[in-house]
This record gives sequence, structure tokens and C-alpha cells, in this order.
Amino acid sequence: MNKIRRIAVIAISFVLIGGGALFAEGLTANEIINKANLASYYAGKDGKSDVRMTITDSQGRERVREFRILRLNIKDGGDQKFYVYFTEPADVAKMVFMVWKHPGQDDDRWLYLPALDLVKRIAASDKRSSFIGSHFVYEDVSGRGTNEDDHQLVGSEGNLHKIKNTPKDSKGVEFAYYYVWIDKANFIPMKAEYYDGQGKLIRVVEALEVKDIEGIPTVTKSHAKNFLRGGETTIDFLGIDYNVGLDESVFAERYLRRAPAKWVQ
Amino acid sequence: MGTVRIKNIVIAALTAWLIPLGVAKAELPEVHGFLEAAYGYKLEDDGTKHEDFNLSEQRGQLKTQYYFDGDNYLADKGGVISFKGDFLVDQHNDDETEVELRELNLAFTPHDMVDLKAGLQVLTWGTGDYLFINDLFPKDYISFFTGRDDEYLKKPSYALKASLYPALANVDLVAIPYFTPNTIPEGDRLSFFDSFQQGIAGTESERTLVEPTKDINHAEYAARVYKNVGGNEFAFYYFRGFDKNPRSYLDEANRELYYQKLNVYGASIRGAIAGGIGNIEVGYYESPEDTDGTDRMIENSSFKAMTGYEVDLGSDLKVGFQYLYERKLDYDNYKEALLPNDYYWDEHRHLLTNRITKLLNNQTVRVSLFTFYSPSDNDGYFRPSVSYDITDQWKVTTGANLPWGEDYITEFGGMEKNKNIYARVRYTF
Repeated sequence: MNKIRRIAVIAISFVLIGGGALFAEGLTANEIINKANLASYYAGKDGKSDVRMTITDSQGRERVREFRILRLNIKDGGDQKFYVYFTEPADVAKMVFMVWKHPGQDDDRWLYLPALDLVKRIAASDKRSSFIGSHFVYEDVSGRGTNEDDHQLVGSEGNLHKIKNTPKDSKGVEFAYYYVWIDKANFIPMKAEYYDGQGKLIRVVEALEVKDIEGIPTVTKSHAKNFLRGGETTIDFLGIDYNVGLDESVFAERYLRRAPAKWVQ
Repeated sequence: MGTVRIKNIVIAALTAWLIPLGVAKAELPEVHGFLEAAYGYKLEDDGTKHEDFNLSEQRGQLKTQYYFDGDNYLADKGGVISFKGDFLVDQHNDDETEVELRELNLAFTPHDMVDLKAGLQVLTWGTGDYLFINDLFPKDYISFFTGRDDEYLKKPSYALKASLYPALANVDLVAIPYFTPNTIPEGDRLSFFDSFQQGIAGTESERTLVEPTKDINHAEYAARVYKNVGGNEFAFYYFRGFDKNPRSYLDEANRELYYQKLNVYGASIRGAIAGGIGNIEVGYYESPEDTDGTDRMIENSSFKAMTGYEVDLGSDLKVGFQYLYERKLDYDNYKEALLPNDYYWDEHRHLLTNRITKLLNNQTVRVSLFTFYSPSDNDGYFRPSVSYDITDQWKVTTGANLPWGEDYITEFGGMEKNKNIYARVRYTF
């Protein structure tokens, strides 16, 4: 009897200790990634923020982009709508970029050019291209489909989970794999490192500052560096506000042509 | 040119204008704009006004918006006044200084489901890229063919636009009290095919273009009903007014052309397909002054259809293709009515276009080529351009306009002596 008991205790301890290390307090890599996706892209029902993007090229020259971003979740972890209203630089002021995000398929994107009063439809198959000339790509801004990669929990560093992500389809993806470090407590991704096929680091995206905003842990400053093209981009998120009561009707042609004063002023 | 001074003048003018409305505020609206110098070198001499150039100008643009504030009806209804105006010194017109008002309008939302915009405004709709079937709003083809920015292809109209948003579908209703024609080559800046000169004409052209008189019966109306169904955009269009190009003869002996009446009924669809964006647009052009096509002086009715596809190939490379088909209706009647020496146009026209755009150097360099080619007319038009955003303020653009054709009477063939290369430098503030 004692022997069986001892074996049981050892077995249970093994599961608790070993399994704990393997499954990170019971969470699988996929679960962590899903929670991180929700924490970083789906906070609240909706949100708005002013974004200041400082792009520095390899020779140290700076360019600044400023815009107001409005986001509405249609379904948590699923479809979302974005409205991006540019204010700087002057030559793109009042331009509007609208996205209907559909994870797993091509997004719908529109661009409104005020000088021509033109609502343009934009082909959106390349989500890995630079977002408005910065070191962030479209997927950094609106999220990468959680089903696009195989996720593997490779370790734990302090209060961070380390997950390796390998794309299921390498077509149209500039990296071979990337690691992402996710905060164990709030599931905010703190850092991502992208590697090429030779294992060379090509790009790093980092959260520089996380603040509690209306009870929601929020990245308020982030940074991207691209070692292939050189240079870096810093994003400052200002005036973040969640659950502001955005209505789906805002994300339509009506408000491309006539920016909703309530939301962009 | 003192930017600050011009800014102050405009702000003062706007303020003076707003005070009587009882809405003057201490806070001045933000003013943006640019200064630009442009030069277009002609590759051929064609008997137009200047031998060497068809573009040489310095332009300053100012734009601002005033948001109504305080306790009044317009503030309550989200009222906004938009102003945009250009100051131009034009060597083509002997250094004359011109003021071009591009926008001066009031927009507000009198009801949750209604937007109104009244005044001078640029109007655009339809799905084509440089091709227009249901966008019958005025355009400036001189700007297009000399190398000004795309913004100048669209001319503003004095209009009242009401946009309605009931649940079923969105509706735009536009009333244009005064006719604005397209700006087209007339031999002064650009040469063109002049049937009276029996060939390509420059300054020797002596045509008179007769516009509809300013009369309430000559107001134009345009409407669009549209709906976005799961990312697919459906639209129906209606237009009642005048052709924006003078295609009909009023008095041949006096070389008078005019803008005949035109009604257009059309539809379009645009949506994501096969990893890109596809569109189809059709229009029936009814010529009410010559419904059966038997009057040789007046443009016949016609049918137009186009389809396009644009795809993002990755690495900031985009490619787009379009095909446009135009058919002159009642063609037998037209042929029969012609006199022996008349120029005549084909029944069918096919036009293909291609756009390739590549962004380089962190998206600060844009290389683009737009090509028109008509296998039925044997003509075409190349529009290569390269632009570079040196900083957020400074931008340089260079490009060429290269129309060609086998025959003078076709659209691009008639323009073939207008080949130019141009450069622009712009400072935005």
C-alpha cells in the first residue's frame, strides 16, 4: 500500500512540476497566444488613440506620422474595423485609411483621398509590407492571425513566456520563425524577434512602456527595428480611451468622405 | 512669396466672412498648403503658344477648415466650412497671377441620416482608374496631359450635395446650377485634332465652344444609390445634364461646337476577388437631342462598359489592369447621315490600361507607369513618373506624358504632338 502511495505521490509531483514547466501553469502555447492576441488587439469593446510615429532611417533622418485610430471589435478574436485619420505630415492630413479586418482571409481596405474626393479600394494581400513607410508592418498594427503560425512554448524567462512561432505557409512571409515574449500576468507581448532561414535576427518589435488604462494593461510606447533595412520606428500612443461607444456605422464610406467630428476632433 | 503673409490674408478674409455669421472665435483655424514650382519641357514643336514648354508655373495652395463652435444651429449640426485656394504665377500666360478657388463650401448634418454640402466642391464617384463612365463631373485634361499633380485632374463644381443614409441603401443627390465644362486642349497650351483645320492644330485653331447659358433649366443633376454588402460595393448612377466635352456642332460655318444634352444611366460593382480588387462599371449614354442618331451634327447615344483588376504582388509592388469598351449606338443611322467629307468615328472602341506602382527606399520613392493602349484606335499614352519624398516637407516629382497614335482623329493620336517631360518641386506646410 505504502509503495503504491509513494508511486502516486511521485507521479503527481512529476505531473505538477514537470507538467508545470511544460504547460506553463496549465496553459498551452496556443492558449497563451490567443490570450496575447486578445490582450493586445481586442482590449475593451472598442478603443481610440492618437498615434505619433517617429520613423528614423539608417542615416538618422526623421519623419513623423500622426493619426487618430478608432477600433471596433465585431467579434472578440475575430473581425474588427479600423478607421485611421491622418493629421501629419501636412500632405496626408485628412486622408483616411479604413480596414475591415477578417482574420484568416484578406482584409477589406479603403483609402480616402480628400483632394480628389476619391474613395479608393486598396488591394490588401500583402500584410507583411511596411505600414506607411515605418518599421512596423500591417500585421504589427492590426494583428497576425493566430492560426497563421505553429506555436511552441520554449521556455520561461522571469515573468515572461517565450514562444516560438513558425509560419504554416512561408509564402509571402519575410521571416522563417519568430520568438515572442509574453507577460505571464497580463498576456501583453513585450518583445518579438524575427529570424531568417539562417537564424539571423532581422527585426525586433518591443513594448517600451505598458500602463494601466481604465483597468486595462495597455502598451503606450513601442519600438521596431529592422536590421536589414536599418533604422527604427517609435510609436507613442496618446489619449487612449476604451469603450467609448463607437458605432459600426462610423466605419463606412459616409465617414470617409466626411470625417466624424465627434471622433476625430 | 511670403507664406506667412498669404496665410494671414486668408485667415483675415475668412474671419471677416465669418464674423457676420456671428460665429467668430478667438481660435484661428489651422492652415495647411504647399508651394510648388513646375516645369514641363515640350519634346515637339506643335504651333502652340510657346515653343519650348507647356508648363511653367509657381503655385501656392492654402487650405483650411472652420468648425462651427458655440451655441448655434451649425455648431449643433457639425457645421464645417472648407476653403482651398491656389495662387498661381504662370509663365504660359505671361507671368499673369491667377487665383484659383478649388473649394469653398459649407457641410453640415441637419439630421442623423442626412449630410448636406453646399458650395464649390470637388465631386468624384465611380470605380475606374483614370477612366470615367458614371463620373460626369468636370475634369481638367490640360493639367492631366502637362504633368500637374493628379489633384488637378478634378475640377470643382458649384453644387448642392445631399447624402441620405436610410437603412436600405445610401443615396447621393447632387444639383449643379451652373455648367462647368472639362478643360480640354484648345491649341493654346496643348495642340489637338481640329476637324476645321483638318489636322492637329495649335494657336491657329479658331473654334468657338458654346456653353449652355446660365439658366435654371440648364441645371445638372446627378444621383448615386449605393450599398456595401459584406465588402462588395454596389452602386447605381443617374446623370442629367450636358456632355462635358464639346462633341456636337452648333454652326459649322462659324466653327461653333457645343456641349449637347446628355443623360446617363449606369451601375457598378467593386469588391475583393482572387487576392485583389475587381470592378465592373457600365453606363448607357443617352443623347436626347439626337435619340435615333440621324443628326450628323450631334453626338449619338452610346454604351460604355469597363472592368478592372488590381493586385498587390508584395514588396510594395502593385499592378492594375483595366479594359474599357465603348460602342456608338444607332451606327447605321450615323453613317447614313454623314456627308462625303465628314470625319467619322468607329462604332466600337476598345481601350486597355495598365498601372504598375513600386515603392522603394522605405516607401519614400514611388515609381509608376500608367499606360493607355487602344488596339481598335491604334493609339496610346504612356505616363511614367518618379517621385521622392526628400523629407516630410519636400517632395520632387518627375515624369513624362507620351501620347501617340497612327491617326490624328483618335483620342491619343490627336494629342501626339504634346509629348513632354516635366518636373515639380513641392514644399508642404
